[in-house]
Amino acid sequence: MDILELVNFYIIPGIVLGSIYALGAVGITLVFAILRYAHLAHGDLATLGAFVALACVTALGISPLLALPMAIVATAAVAVGIDKVFYEHLRNRPKIVTVMASLGVALMIRSVIQVVWGVDTQTYSRGIVRPEDYFGLRIRDREFYTVFAMLLLVGGLQLFLTRTKWGKAMRAMSDNPNLALLSGIDNKKVVMLTWLVAGGLCAAAGYFLGLNTELKSLMGWSMLLPMFAAAILGGVGRVEGAVLGGLVVGIAEELSVLWIPSEYKAAMAFVILLFMLLVRPTGLLKGKVL
Amino acid sequence: MKTKVLALAASLMAATALAGAPAHADVKIGLLGGISGPIAAMAPAMIDSAQLAITQVNEQGGIGDGEKLVGVVGDSACNPQNGTDAATKAVNIEGVAGIVGPHCSGAVLAAAGSVSIPAGIAMITPSGTSPEITTLDDKGIVFRTVPSDDYQGRALARTMKEQDYGKVAVAYLNNDYGTGLANAFKAEYADELGGEITQFAAHEEGKASYRSNLAELAKGDADTLVIFDYGDGTGLTILRQALENGFFEKFVGGDGMKSEAVIDALGAENLVSFVASSPVGEQSKSLDMFNEAFKGAGGDPDAIFATTSYDAAFLMALALEKAGGNKDEVAAAMMEVSNGEGEPILPGEWKKAKELIAAGTAIDYKGAAGDQNFDENGDVPGTYALWEVGSDGFEVLSEMK
Repeated sequence: MDILELVNFYIIPGIVLGSIYALGAVGITLVFAILRYAHLAHGDLATLGAFVALACVTALGISPLLALPMAIVATAAVAVGIDKVFYEHLRNRPKIVTVMASLGVALMIRSVIQVVWGVDTQTYSRGIVRPEDYFGLRIRDREFYTVFAMLLLVGGLQLFLTRTKWGKAMRAMSDNPNLALLSGIDNKKVVMLTWLVAGGLCAAAGYFLGLNTELKSLMGWSMLLPMFAAAILGGVGRVEGAVLGGLVVGIAEELSVLWIPSEYKAAMAFVILLFMLLVRPTGLLKGKVL
Repeated sequence: MKTKVLALAASLMAATALAGAPAHADVKIGLLGGISGPIAAMAPAMIDSAQLAITQVNEQGGIGDGEKLVGVVGDSACNPQNGTDAATKAVNIEGVAGIVGPHCSGAVLAAAGSVSIPAGIAMITPSGTSPEITTLDDKGIVFRTVPSDDYQGRALARTMKEQDYGKVAVAYLNNDYGTGLANAFKAEYADELGGEITQFAAHEEGKASYRSNLAELAKGDADTLVIFDYGDGTGLTILRQALENGFFEKFVGGDGMKSEAVIDALGAENLVSFVASSPVGEQSKSLDMFNEAFKGAGGDPDAIFATTSYDAAFLMALALEKAGGNKDEVAAAMMEVSNGEGEPILPGEWKKAKELIAAGTAIDYKGAAGDQNFDENGDVPGTYALWEVGSDGFEVLSEMK
């Protein structure tokens, strides 16, 4: 096998897949760092984002790329709403209660999607797109968009967290919630902000998964495990770690078929997760706080 | 506030209690189907056509002394866990006399093994096609109205050999359906006919990218990819990525791939080299009668597995009538009502069947999907055709032998 084939059929798909995982994993890691629980509805929230974008495409007749901002805004709003309705009054209960509640929310979101959009597989645009050839590298436009959008969104988030007042407030909350409260940080606003960011990133993850494959009501749910694996691999609470983790999981899944039978490809995320938890539970970038 | 909530809860409980106690002497059958999950797009027509059979039974005198036949719908979600859960609920809570379904082979095997065989409840699936179901140690209570994939895989292999497909690579979904079909195909194509299979690989469902799988499959220079998967699930993703990257020139699918979703998503113009095999109903008076009745009920008679679902439900009703309400004798009665001997009964002829059973005359159901004469394993033989994508959807390309 020559090097171009390796890059074209294993590395590039791995990077695209990894970018999608990364978008989801950043949201998971944020919720983990600031609210301190595993949010199991993350995958289905991503599905919702993908289908909202589909609704924009079909209703307004716009190009799928223009639908992305709308999906991000709408899903961010839904995420805040879900927090207000389901998670807010559980905040003082043990965290496991909220985790279980998020599982229920996941099932609810999925059912709503199935009721509104049906259970058929759908796509943003009909037909197939053959890749362009760049000096032997075969890349589709939408794969560029996926990776660039991921870098743009995560880069923007990183700037927001380090440079702005509210970004610093979010980091303070994740560092030490009591101290943050004492120094006058508005807990409620930080939580809302977290959900806005997490929801928006979720929508982007779902949208790009849909753009690169198809839209199915179960698409987000089957992404949940790799996204968690990516978040833990990178170090919980580390935004750049989640990106790194996402890329590693994505590329590892694609490369795995070179050595192990392809039916075990899906188990790759499991293996990485187990291995990291055993060897280095803090993750590659020593996570804990933002 | 609290009293209001309590009152609401109490009334809800009362309502459930009332709903839980069936009107006296209804006969329930479970209609288990993949309502959610990978074949969710196919399930509605299948459930509707089974309900049509139930409606006809009730309109023409019902079961036994005019008791109503009731179909209890359950979601087997096309996977073993949900299949078992749905069957457990149907048998233990609803107390069904027989089960029509589940829809997917994995769900059938799990539900049969852990629920219906121990409970002795007869089960008839309209679409569980895995060869494993044939060899299941089922004490004769598991039937199907759809032919085993062993026939389909072998027929597809013979047809492809005849049409000079040459070297092929096989990608199959790692579940009971995909594995069964792929192994039957391999046994005939490679072992019997001496064809060359360059790669033979399973894949998991629900991944975003299969390009690395396809790159592996393409090693060995086969120009045809045979896909045993679902056309509105992972099969579509694989077909799309194979077309986009030019991994293979020709594509062949099993019946799961003959889904409108493939045409909707990829466009007919991109599918000129794609063919899929699927069971075809032989032209018969039974089929015409079913088509007319199902159209009248607002259904699409060409929907995949609509005919087999109808036959399954109607056969279950006939067996229940023959068994005279005795759950333990339903399976034996099922064999008797469709063994090729006796007065022919066509779809919808419930009144005639009821009178003949009452008179003790032997009957033989001639189904919409075929004669449905069971062999000792509860299997039926089938006829298949190879379909290509034309301007108005799938069109028959050639018969398969």
